Amino acid sequence: MTAPRRLRKELVDLQESSLKSFRDIKADDDNLLRWTGLIVPDNPPYNKGAFRIEINFPAEYPFKPPKISFKTKIYHPNIDEKGQVCLPIISTENWKPATRTDQVVQALIALINDPEPEHPLRAELAEEFLKDKKKFVKNAEDYTRKHSEKRPAD
Amino acid sequence: MDSDIEMEMESDNDGEFDDDYDYYNTGEDCDVERLDPKRADPEYFEYECLTVEDIEKLLNELVEKLNTILQITPSLAKVLLLEHQWNNAAVVEKYRQDANALLVSARIKPPTTAVETASTSAAAAAQLRLSSSSGYRTSSSASTSSLTTAASGNPQQQQQSQPQRRMCPVCASTQPNDKFYSLACGHSFCKDCWTIYFETQIFQGISIQIGCMAQQCNVRVPEDLVLTLVTRPVMRDKYQQFAFKDYVKSHPQLRFCPGPNCQIIVQSSEICAKRAICKVCHTGFCFKCGMDYHAPTDCQIIRKWLTKCADDSETANYISAHTKDCPKCHICIEKNGGCNHMQCFNCKHDFCWMCLGDWKTHGSEYYECSRYKDNPNIANESVHVQAREALKKYLHYYERWENHSKSLKLEQQTIDRLRQRINTKVMNGSGTWIDWQYLFNAAALLAKCRYTLQYTYPYAYYMEPGSRKNLFEYQQAQLEAEIENLSWKIERAETTDRAVLENQMDIAEKRRTTLLKDFFPVIVKT
Repeated sequence: MTAPRRLRKELVDLQESSLKSFRDIKADDDNLLRWTGLIVPDNPPYNKGAFRIEINFPAEYPFKPPKISFKTKIYHPNIDEKGQVCLPIISTENWKPATRTDQVVQALIALINDPEPEHPLRAELAEEFLKDKKKFVKNAEDYTRKHSEKRPAD
Repeated sequence: MDSDIEMEMESDNDGEFDDDYDYYNTGEDCDVERLDPKRADPEYFEYECLTVEDIEKLLNELVEKLNTILQITPSLAKVLLLEHQWNNAAVVEKYRQDANALLVSARIKPPTTAVETASTSAAAAAQLRLSSSSGYRTSSSASTSSLTTAASGNPQQQQQSQPQRRMCPVCASTQPNDKFYSLACGHSFCKDCWTIYFETQIFQGISIQIGCMAQQCNVRVPEDLVLTLVTRPVMRDKYQQFAFKDYVKSHPQLRFCPGPNCQIIVQSSEICAKRAICKVCHTGFCFKCGMDYHAPTDCQIIRKWLTKCADDSETANYISAHTKDCPKCHICIEKNGGCNHMQCFNCKHDFCWMCLGDWKTHGSEYYECSRYKDNPNIANESVHVQAREALKKYLHYYERWENHSKSLKLEQQTIDRLRQRINTKVMNGSGTWIDWQYLFNAAALLAKCRYTLQYTYPYAYYMEPGSRKNLFEYQQAQLEAEIENLSWKIERAETTDRAVLENQMDIAEKRRTTLLKDFFPVIVKT
């Protein structure tokens, strides 16, 4: 089994790298294949909160890609109501075994900070984003205030 | 038996058809046309049915030819040929022009190192020979080091004299250097990881397209490395099967016979929508698209038509709302979430869900489709009126299509009935068995004409209104009338009216060829 050794190393590396925008990284006590972490975006309208995500690794990891889902509700064109997100770097056809989780998380953070309304999971939000940016920003800020977690102090 | 009859008839027709041609066309090139069956018979098609062994031989010959010219390994030659539709001359020419660019475009070398290390074609060629002569099969440490040296100029980690250990970035385990393999890109991973990776990819049906394990690295894994590391016979067989399929599919002149479990591969230098008949399973199909032969209708239209017919309204609506066909291989894709950047599971073509254009045209930005933005949701007005009219028109053509299709399905019954009738006649002393054989020819011709007639309906359905459509439908009506006459005469044939029946056969077939000649698009691509 390759997964546990690789995951343990990646977890330690990630925790040691102490990224500002991805914190509180933990694996489940009884299951190394399930991680949680806190996304702390820099760009408005998401920079007023933090978002809990879950990363699920398949047993075949790293030969098959992990799956990411949002546990915190977020008002974002690329993340649906169930917390699913479409991230090319972890799609089956693009996946490379040497891709590290920190690269995946970086791609995710980039997507959160800069939504890509041209490939929406929630078409109505994408339309609002493109046609009425002000309204979108306001809605997203309200939503973030209401649903997101507190940002860490430091 | 069937094919014999058909061949006989075809040769008959050729002769008669020429007379016809001379009569109507006293043009200057009629002598040429008379001699050339390609012109005289709109359905004339030259092809060969080959076995897997024949094809392997054929492909291997191409590979060997390239090997001798360029002095490269078979594994490499296969990749180059695959990328160039098996056009030997094109590969050689590109190689002579810029070997480096060729290797980069075939994903054998990474683009950046190419710029760094090889300034001239000659240098690249020399490198290529070096790397290919060392191969992957030799003892692992030697092969990795020579490869990395040759391709990326990155030898510092590969000093063989010191038995160093390092960590594999995939499995995070530390292993001796000689357990590591890398491609021309220099990304190095341990043997076990490569092996598991190859098996995972093969399991997903990917063979010659397997790429390096590094993020953002597109360099292709050569066949010989896969076969060196993957030792399980099942997986090796799978890999070779998938690779063979890819090779055949990339060769423009080859088609797998679509017959169930049929291993035959049909070859033709004329790539067009004509009928090929497999000599083993006798499946007839359109050489271009692989579906049932469909003259005079062309491949796109018959596809559209069959999809339309196959679905009752509910599923048709669902399918049009939720699925699209891959623009390259036309497999039906259901979008069940995710973004507009689609990759076809079947042929790995990258395209945009909104406009179905190649994804490459969408720039370096990950997701944008301006083509769709310009014109979203056309023709939404008065949908109901349009739909009702459309349905009426569709049903008109569909009923006729369906009717002939059913008649054709009853063909075997017709022949059985015919045989019974002939038996009775012979028993009663009216003629011998041989005297009646012409009836089978007549029945075969009837089926052939009906088949063409059936496929005229989708053609007419998608035709623009106008004089050409009027002409088409006129000819179609003529054909239909003669077919019904023929059918009637076959049912009531006696030995005494053989001449009348043969005359009718001739008329029906002439109508058929005339229609095909006027409307069957023969586009010859070489």
